[in-house]
Amino acid sequence: MYFLGIDIGSLSCDTVIIDQTSGIVASAVVPTGARNVKAIERSKADAMSLAGLIDEDIAALVSTGYGRRRVAGRSAAVTEISCHARGILHLLPETRLLIDIGGQDSKAIVFDGEGNVANFSMNDKCAAGTGRFLEAMARALEVDIIELAQLDRGARGELTLSSMCTVFAESEVVSLIADGAEVKEIVAGLNRSVANRVQSMVKRIAPDLSCLPVAMSGGVAYNEGVVRSLQTQLDVEIAIPEKPDIVGALGAALVARERALGQGEKRRPTE
Amino acid sequence: MLQQFERTIDALEAKLAAPQGNTPRRRYALEFARLGKRLYDGRHPVAWCGVVAPFDLLNAMGFTSCFVEFVGASLASSGVVDTFLDRAEQDGLVPDMCAYHRAVAGAAALGMMPVPQVLVATSCPCFAGQATMENLARLMERELIFLHVPLEQTPEAVRYLVDQLESMITQITALTGRRLDPDKLARTIERSNRAVAVIEEVFELAAHIPSPSASRELKDFGIAMPLLFGRPEAIELAQVFRDAFAGRIRSGGGNGVTKERVRLLWIQNRIQFREPLVKMLEQELGAVVVVDELNHVTWDPIDPQNPLEGIARRMISNPFNGPIESRISKLQALARRYRVDGAINPCNWGCRQGAGARGLMQTGLAEIGVPVLNLEVDCVDPRSFAEGQLRTRLEAFVEMLEAKSSPWS
Repeated sequence: MYFLGIDIGSLSCDTVIIDQTSGIVASAVVPTGARNVKAIERSKADAMSLAGLIDEDIAALVSTGYGRRRVAGRSAAVTEISCHARGILHLLPETRLLIDIGGQDSKAIVFDGEGNVANFSMNDKCAAGTGRFLEAMARALEVDIIELAQLDRGARGELTLSSMCTVFAESEVVSLIADGAEVKEIVAGLNRSVANRVQSMVKRIAPDLSCLPVAMSGGVAYNEGVVRSLQTQLDVEIAIPEKPDIVGALGAALVARERALGQGEKRRPTE
Repeated sequence: MLQQFERTIDALEAKLAAPQGNTPRRRYALEFARLGKRLYDGRHPVAWCGVVAPFDLLNAMGFTSCFVEFVGASLASSGVVDTFLDRAEQDGLVPDMCAYHRAVAGAAALGMMPVPQVLVATSCPCFAGQATMENLARLMERELIFLHVPLEQTPEAVRYLVDQLESMITQITALTGRRLDPDKLARTIERSNRAVAVIEEVFELAAHIPSPSASRELKDFGIAMPLLFGRPEAIELAQVFRDAFAGRIRSGGGNGVTKERVRLLWIQNRIQFREPLVKMLEQELGAVVVVDELNHVTWDPIDPQNPLEGIARRMISNPFNGPIESRISKLQALARRYRVDGAINPCNWGCRQGAGARGLMQTGLAEIGVPVLNLEVDCVDPRSFAEGQLRTRLEAFVEMLEAKSSPWS
């Protein structure tokens, strides 16, 4: 008996399959592109193929992410807030605060030792502090998004970007290049800009981080510059799981398993 | 606007006459469409006002009175607010300002607000409301009467406001020739008191577990009902809600829409345009808005023989007036009375009342175990409505509440 979690985000669609012991059997990450239903099918097919499973082997499927209601055959749709909390707790059990920076959302989530969310905050209707922001900046710098993650090495960190808005920041980056600013300094400034936005969100729900081990998930967790900048601004160590982009899908698979096995019942109705 | 209100009245009357069509919310909508018609038909003397103006007193003087934000809400709910917001921006109002007032400014500039006989601004609840009234007075070439509502309920403060109310009456008489008949005012206040007594019964019933009130049934009720105070319709309308709620409780409880799993308090004002989220909360997640912050009677019955003092106390007692501690203690009282699991603050974009103290309100409710979800919504301008993000936040909030034990267990 296997359990499947699908996290359909704006940039990637992630699938995780777990077994009855909650062990990860397979995972797949594919770009979402313009048609998220196609991405869901592809991501699921890739993971199923890797695991050597067929649909009948799957006891329950839980979807999460912004496209969670577009996943066919789901047992339930659960928000990425709950799923990320569950997923990271499975991978890094000490964690009590998760920073997730995905394509269009960034969020901070505080939870207890069972993965029950105690508080959360999310970015508002603005791409500042998200993967989209970094994508736009990589485009302005004419570098690959993977390459961008390394480019701040050796920077003195003296350059500050004044624009929070993604569109204006892109113009600012273009102006800085034209003015001869070093790329590593620009990238360090961008990283601080993202970190600054996210640290406000974290502090809003957790003013004191001294007793809250922090981890990070989402594709931006691969960007060591942003992680370093966040660590500096929050003055904490941030743990990163081996595959930070599958945390939401893993959480969804864990929820699927719990519900299928009759665990983790919701609180009774109030009447 | 007149045609819009007339069409709404015709449609609602037809629905109310149909079998099973007589619902409290339709009766409510009908009464406020009728109020809208009276404001716009040119046959009634009109007073445009601030939110806490003494509407029953103005009714007793023969005015159809209304707070101007009603216009912003009506334009938003009828889906035509964009034109008026655009006009306000063209006239120089910044888009970061509260859209209730931007809509009013746009409506006035486009000739969609009748020129009133009287303009009565109130310092409570907000400065944007005062500025809007000042602009209307300039545009419509009318004198502005201003009531400064003191922040605390001391005998001196009440006297100070009573003096202003007396001056207001004198000023209105000088401006319009309309006099206040003390006997008529006493009868009006008696009707206000009777309406408020029935409203208290409605709120008592709504607090029942499970609540007989559906999430949208008492939307805007507490802020809008004072517009009818002193008129028989206020009593009749409150009775319709009371009888419906009592009937639902007698027949097994619940609001007939959903099985209540989570009880919510809605802070400040609702989203005025059509949106799917409150319905989603209720029907998909069983999360019911059982009380709104302004569905709260915060004053004692008013002595009909000495009405101005009671009216002054009522104005001062508004939850948005005075120190934030007072507002927080009122929110805590509501949370306890209705035994809510959580609260939602839309933090209306551009509104200092909604957003300025959100952290303090969140902390105050957290002290009694009630989590608050702060959204960032423009409650009037649908163009910046990020449905997907808001849906995720609301769903996650309900998931979080369901995983917690009730603050009242």
